[in-house]
Amino acid sequence: MATDVMIEASGLTKRFGGVRALDKVSFEVRRGEVVGFLGPNGAGKSTTMRILTCFISPTTGSAKVSGHDVFDSPLEVRRAIGYLPQRAPLYTDMSVYDYLRFVAEIRGLDESAFKSRLKKVVEVCGLAQSLGKDIGTLSHGYRQRVGLGQALIHDPPILILDEPTSDLDPNEKAEVLRYIKQIGKDRTILLSTHNLAEVEEACARAIIVSKGRVVADGALDDIRGKTGRVRYVVAIDEKRAEAGNSAPSAEAARTALERIDGARSVKELPTDESLHKFELIGPQNSDLRADIFRLVVAKGWTLLELRRDAQSLDAVFRDLTRGDEKLDRGAGWKASEPEDDEDDDDSTSDEDDDDDSDEASDNHSSARKA
Amino acid sequence: MSPMLTIAKREFRSNFDSPLAYVVICLSFFALGLMFFMLQGGFWQADRSSVERLFEYAPMGLSFLVVPVVTMRLVAEERRSGTLEMLITLPVSDSDVVLGKFFGALGLVLVLVLATLLYPFGMFKWPWVLGPLDMGPVASGYLGLILFSAAATSIGLLVSSLAESQAVAFFITFFVLAALWFFDNAAQYLSAGGNGGWFPTVLLYMSFQTRLSGFWRGLVDTRDILFFVSVTLLCLLVAFRALERRKWA
Ligand SMILES: Nc1ncnc2c1ncn2[C@@H]1O[C@H](COP(=O)(O)OP(=O)(O)OP(=O)(O)O)[C@@H](O)[C@H]1O
Ligand SMILES: [Mg+2]
Repeated sequence: MATDVMIEASGLTKRFGGVRALDKVSFEVRRGEVVGFLGPNGAGKSTTMRILTCFISPTTGSAKVSGHDVFDSPLEVRRAIGYLPQRAPLYTDMSVYDYLRFVAEIRGLDESAFKSRLKKVVEVCGLAQSLGKDIGTLSHGYRQRVGLGQALIHDPPILILDEPTSDLDPNEKAEVLRYIKQIGKDRTILLSTHNLAEVEEACARAIIVSKGRVVADGALDDIRGKTGRVRYVVAIDEKRAEAGNSAPSAEAARTALERIDGARSVKELPTDESLHKFELIGPQNSDLRADIFRLVVAKGWTLLELRRDAQSLDAVFRDLTRGDEKLDRGAGWKASEPEDDEDDDDSTSDEDDDDDSDEASDNHSSARKA
Repeated sequence: MSPMLTIAKREFRSNFDSPLAYVVICLSFFALGLMFFMLQGGFWQADRSSVERLFEYAPMGLSFLVVPVVTMRLVAEERRSGTLEMLITLPVSDSDVVLGKFFGALGLVLVLVLATLLYPFGMFKWPWVLGPLDMGPVASGYLGLILFSAAATSIGLLVSSLAESQAVAFFITFFVLAALWFFDNAAQYLSAGGNGGWFPTVLLYMSFQTRLSGFWRGLVDTRDILFFVSVTLLCLLVAFRALERRKWA
């Protein structure tokens, strides 16, 4: 192959009736890249993958896989691809062995190639004990393993995996990710997932889609840096204080922290220990830890915890796909609420936290509706 | 092996993974035997060494039970369960899928059809010899039956590729095949009033029963052969288009 670009999507738009599932999606994936394909539910991940595997056609736009146009030469495209559709739909009336054999036969593997690949696939996917079983009797996780097995059986140069690990147990998940990382060195892998920890582990690059558009595409580090914020977690003992000082109230601690230079938003985090826990957002490329420490010492309080996170991928993801989220939770109602502005600042808060507040406003809106 | 044959093989074998196929096979043989020997006086009353009755009743068994059951799953069930996506994203063309499924299903139907050879051979050659059997009509009858099976199977496949579920596919196939079979009687009924016009003629033209009746008597008409072959090809073509339609949905 002359070019190293193995997957090339340009301007993919897909409409389902009135719904625009994809809106000018463009990206490239090169050989040797393992790319995480992220996005909230309904963002268009599966739709993109279906277009790339020539299962459906884009309304407009074009895509090339392994140098072949998905529209003009679907067979060549599919030969180069191992594809695992979402939820691994398999023939439940076949045994695992028969199924893998069926796929191998269609892919034109000869007997000896099949034998040797089968050995490898069984090892990676942990299928040794299930080969003789009917797929219909397997648990979901095992079905997913079989689905993964059929995608790997011909050792394809390009792998497109739609949520390959969603039903796997942690052991198998780790094994699959390890294998993906290993074979990813000289292959091209596009995998969608909702598990961002997995992306951090296996992928060097991520593409984030939201509402059918690509909202971020780049190395994980670049994406993490995108929002330009750093998060601090500070915990202060609520009882103890140096002699002569009073134990801090939550309010006092909060105001003190807010006064730190550069601290943007301070938010109390829930805790069941006898301490005050705060989350503090600071600007990127700065470190407020020293300031926080000195403040606590000066006040005579007791510092129990101080942590600085670079913005997590998780938070960036939530940030970038916020629009989706809002629409899903009834944004029309929420938009009129005054807190809405604050929301953006809160964007880096903990997951549970945010959900809570969202739910709260949800209740609001439904109450209003009623 | 070509992908088409692999698909056909899988399709054929999948019939035997469920008890349904066995039930259908047993039921249809039982029904055929019943009709052959009992209905309208039965074989013995007719008192002729002919198996014309077999060719008359076998297509009904195929139309009303075997073909709808065998073809209902073909595409409808795969679409519902999502396995169609898995199948189509393998390096197979849509025509491989359509033809593979067609031949897989037709294979089972033909196994049944050929199993009925037991009647003419069992009764007139070995172990019993009930009389001299004219092999001409038997051969032409089977030719008709095979052509009919192909046409009926392709209709079932087409319906299955359009239907939402296999149950719907079963009933539509059943009614379409029943209609095509009884067009003959409908035409007779309409023209009996004397003022038939063109409509009964059209019905007669399309009636599977009319088309087949020549074969039973040893008359092989190229027009009848062409009729069944074109119905088959047309249905396969439309099924192919229906499968392609998913791309633009
Ligand atoms: N066959 C279809 N007919 C109509 N709309 C569809 C069809 N397939 C997908 N859509 C719509 O396209 C949008 C994108 O769906 P898609 O399945 O690609 O999302 P996704 O990113 O894979 O989501 P998830 O994370 O839930 O798997 C959704 O709004 C969905 O409702
Ligand atoms: Mg999806």
